[in-house]
Amino acid sequence: MFKLQKTLKPVLAVRRIHNSAVEAVLRHPAPDDTVTASFGKFISGVKPQHLSSVVLHRSKRMVLDSIGVGLIGSTTEVFEMALQYCQLVYGPDPISSVYGHRDTRLSPTLAAFVNGVATHSMDFDDTWHPATHPSGAVLPAVLALSDMMPANSKPSGLDFLLAFNVGIEIQGRLMRFSNEAHNIPKRFHPPTVVGPMGSAAACARLLSLDPSQCSHALAIAASLAGAPMANAATQCKPLHIGNASRLGLEAALLASRGLEASPLVLDAVAGVAGFNAFYEDYVPQPLKSPSDNDNGHVFLLEEQDMGFKRFPAHLGMHWVADAAASVHKVLVGVDPGKVSPDQVQDILLRVPLSKYINRPFPESEHEARHSFQFNACSALLDGEVAVQSFSPAAMSRPELHALLSRVRLEHPQDNPANFNRMYGEVQVTLVGGDILKGRCDTFYGHWRNPLTNESLRKKFRNNAGVVLPSEKVERLIEAVEELDRLDDCGALLSQLE
Amino acid sequence: SQGITESFGAAIHALNATHLTDGVIHRSKRMMLDTLGVGLLGSRTAVFNKALMYSQRSSVWGRSEITLPPHYAAFVNGIAVHSMDFDDTWHPATHPSGAVLPALLALAETLASRPSGLDLLLAFNVGLEVQGRLMRFSREAYNIPERFHPPSVVGVMGSAAASAKLLGLSPAQCSHALAIAVSSAGAPLANAATQTKPLHIGNAARRGLEAAQLAQIGLEGNPAILDVANGLGVYYGDYNPSPMADSGAFRWILEDQNVAVKRIPAHLAMHWVVDAALAARAKLRDTVGTFDLSQIRQVTLRVPPSKYINCPLPASEHQARHSFQFNACSALLDGQVTVASFDRAQINRPALRELLSKVEVETPEDNPPSFDKMYCEVEIGSAEGRSAAARCDTFYGHWRKPLSQRDLVEKFSVNASSVLCPEGVEGLIDVVG
Repeated sequence: MFKLQKTLKPVLAVRRIHNSAVEAVLRHPAPDDTVTASFGKFISGVKPQHLSSVVLHRSKRMVLDSIGVGLIGSTTEVFEMALQYCQLVYGPDPISSVYGHRDTRLSPTLAAFVNGVATHSMDFDDTWHPATHPSGAVLPAVLALSDMMPANSKPSGLDFLLAFNVGIEIQGRLMRFSNEAHNIPKRFHPPTVVGPMGSAAACARLLSLDPSQCSHALAIAASLAGAPMANAATQCKPLHIGNASRLGLEAALLASRGLEASPLVLDAVAGVAGFNAFYEDYVPQPLKSPSDNDNGHVFLLEEQDMGFKRFPAHLGMHWVADAAASVHKVLVGVDPGKVSPDQVQDILLRVPLSKYINRPFPESEHEARHSFQFNACSALLDGEVAVQSFSPAAMSRPELHALLSRVRLEHPQDNPANFNRMYGEVQVTLVGGDILKGRCDTFYGHWRNPLTNESLRKKFRNNAGVVLPSEKVERLIEAVEELDRLDDCGALLSQLE
Repeated sequence: SQGITESFGAAIHALNATHLTDGVIHRSKRMMLDTLGVGLLGSRTAVFNKALMYSQRSSVWGRSEITLPPHYAAFVNGIAVHSMDFDDTWHPATHPSGAVLPALLALAETLASRPSGLDLLLAFNVGLEVQGRLMRFSREAYNIPERFHPPSVVGVMGSAAASAKLLGLSPAQCSHALAIAVSSAGAPLANAATQTKPLHIGNAARRGLEAAQLAQIGLEGNPAILDVANGLGVYYGDYNPSPMADSGAFRWILEDQNVAVKRIPAHLAMHWVVDAALAARAKLRDTVGTFDLSQIRQVTLRVPPSKYINCPLPASEHQARHSFQFNACSALLDGQVTVASFDRAQINRPALRELLSKVEVETPEDNPPSFDKMYCEVEIGSAEGRSAAARCDTFYGHWRKPLSQRDLVEKFSVNASSVLCPEGVEGLIDVVG
């Protein structure tokens, strides 16, 4: 176990930096005019005062939601496996907390890993545009790293929040290098591409690494990035976020010890792929540092808000669920009581074309969370999709299966596979011949129609309440609300242990 | 009919020691010996030390006083193996042994009942075989890479397969180990020729082991991960998978396609240019009577096109190991290229820098970026207008011209002696042999 000290001198911020490593860094500085170096400079140089009040507010909402989904996620099977695995194969160094397991500690990277798995285990975590799940890749690493720091020199709440925001910002900036990133993914799962980079950036920021080390942290993380879409809708998917968090932290720790990598990893070099290996089209832009810019820095979160999920399923499901729920309302209005499959002749879903969320008869909870058909039928039956909708009992209901067998999909030209522009339409033809239609352009929780603070807290209470007593739940809400005013983020950390 | 992924899981499960042929046993033992040697030597490198500081039960090669949790042992030992680019290379291109052996040894130490040597050898070969099979799914894999570093794509798969084999997982678990491993694959080439490159092998070993252990615990991934286009296929421009035969005659790829063992701790392509440079040097010396550096006016290298090994003025040992120019000039200056050639002082020699400034690189049309088909030509032009040229098609150590057993053992002895006492060195030679 090693302890970190936060000092004002970035180069010596970590006690174990050797002089030779410092020399090495000075001998091979990242050339100033590269995109890679500009990122390193930003991460190293950005300060709390650059966080606007909007960004503070939005990012605190993200922290709260992320902790909540992580806590409830700590009750899942996949989480249990990940935890068992870490405890089985790894030795001590147990200093970082594990969501929902107060007597368990793990080494920091493994804590980041399991907490990341928990966060994404039910596909309940936040989604951004361009598409990724940004918080789950960053928060577990920042928490684990903060746990590592000595009790008398924990980062302030504001430093914590700054590091978190740096992690989010870097992800957003990187995704904007590619048009491909703007649409629902087909090849690489975005959290595995930009997630480790965000985690590395956030941890580098929290460790106060110098600009060159920050660049190297990103480059080291790039060699840990990238997992294919084929494992989405499987039990393995949550590990994508777990690994993003853990590996980004590793990259930052390695960079802090002087490990060097490519100083051009973000730049596009013909014949040698760097970060652009993960994209078909890639046009990188340098990132302006606040010091170079009279206006400080405008974080992407200021201009592009976050989507929060109301139920644990792929974001695309939220549109069809809301559309189906409106049809359900009409149906029970007409004939009070439950909706019965006998009333329904045909269900047509008009949705974007995306193979991995088109599953007529999902067999596992993971598949069900990635099935337009399942979510539409659940909402049609129950009026909503909720955490319980994915329980084995709910999934095996005969009435649900009856409805599923009546679903057809259409992919209208005007419905792109893009979270900013898609819609969901549910058209139910009743046995009598009547046709009921529901359409959702913007579900409640989408960035265009954000959850109110009350709704967000309600979600948090429902989630966190599964594993924590209500006093702790309320104290967590307070700690996050006060985060930018806390002298010591330990006040947040202690509520999680 | 069986999906491809399923066929792999079934094959990993079903292969047993009786399937190992003499040829395969012989070749794979040579690979193990070489890998141990380069790993032991590599445990003295800066990158290895950084990784060791970072990682904190299984043994660390060359460090009797330290043990690490097995994954970290696999990680650091894998880094050691690739730290000096001294480890074996296959065709299609990857560094197969470094991704597998460290994981297997680390795992073996943790098992309640110690595997036999043959069990270990079998698992090792399963790890190699899977890598070889997967690379044959893509034409792109046959050439020197440009996008993803091959050990990071197939290496982790080989480690997962080998670990699954040693753990005795069921066919389904073996398939899931592969699926989980794919989500840990793929590092971009940009970190080649940097200090981070060795981590590609270290991570392949570690994360493949992790995938197998997660599969053992019951984690599941996509059961068609090798079949679908958005599985392993995402790492390739063209991807055409085919199943492993479930019964009948099984032929190991290693039987038909040997590995190259390096004589020089540098990228494989450097071996051609060094052999050509040494031959040209000898020619010039024979013609003129002596070899006088000051007489050299120009050095022309004719090499295959590959950006990451074309480095006119390397600034670090990592860049030097990936520089046609540096390796050619070292050979011309010293009459040999050895481990010591990549020391900082050697890299910065004024005489070498001066010679480097006289180098021109050409990439002839008939020189493809393939380790099976490339050549290197070195032409030295001297001040009086003389020139001497030599060409290397197959360097000594290439699979077409393998190292003799004596030279292989000699390489191992020199490497291992950097950290082990003579009894230790001899002991290892005996045990593997």
